[in-house]
Amino acid sequence: MNDDRVFRALADPTRRHLLDRLFERDGRTLTELESELEMTRFGVMKHLRVLEDAGLVVTRREGREKLHFLNPVPIRLVHDRWIDKYTEHRVAVLADLKHELEDSA
Amino acid sequence: MSTITALTTQVYSVYIRATPEQVWDAITQPEWTARYFYGARIEVGPEWRKVYSPDGGDDWGSTSVTEFDPPRRLVHEWKSSYNPELAVEEPSRVSWEIEAQEDGTTLLTVVHDQLEGAPKTAESVSGNGWMYVLSGLKTLLETGEPLAG
Repeated sequence: MNDDRVFRALADPTRRHLLDRLFERDGRTLTELESELEMTRFGVMKHLRVLEDAGLVVTRREGREKLHFLNPVPIRLVHDRWIDKYTEHRVAVLADLKHELEDSA
Repeated sequence: MSTITALTTQVYSVYIRATPEQVWDAITQPEWTARYFYGARIEVGPEWRKVYSPDGGDDWGSTSVTEFDPPRRLVHEWKSSYNPELAVEEPSRVSWEIEAQEDGTTLLTVVHDQLEGAPKTAESVSGNGWMYVLSGLKTLLETGEPLAG
């Protein structure tokens, strides 16, 4: 259920771009993020909201400012659940093939 | 990896299918931490957070606890005593915030900040550092088993 939100959030290039910006420099205000995108403030806010709902962005108040932080944990969890599983399988298939070819040689 | 600036505040959060009390126990009791915190045995009380090596033998140092509010909030000083190169850096601060959610899960947020005087620690705990701890904690509480590998 949470995976759905993460995949949906990552399915949009603007949102991936926002994550990349936060990866470069974390803890930024809406105004800073907005200045790097050709998009209205409202549009950026909407995308940040989707990222926040997916847990990929966490906001904190510092003084009068609301700062946006990249939270990489959901990506790690998706990786553990979806990537590890299939790459392990593929590696295993190749290992089996290698054994078969070597045994028959 | 590209240059990362502003690592002086890092925020990590994860939803865990467990109660706030279970999450609190898992971050304050050594028999729990040993199973997901790089094997470290960590004991947290109202004043001190004591860290021991995986076999319980070596004292990896104590840091002061500044907020102790079970099962909601824990704030303590951080020193990377597990690595001599990092241990000499200035202490930083770690806050654990535990919030029960309406759907019965618990949101755990870790804020590691005041890292201005500890750039190597900042680098070390970012990326896989805290992520490994939090995904391990989630797996342990939800399945009863530590993360494999």
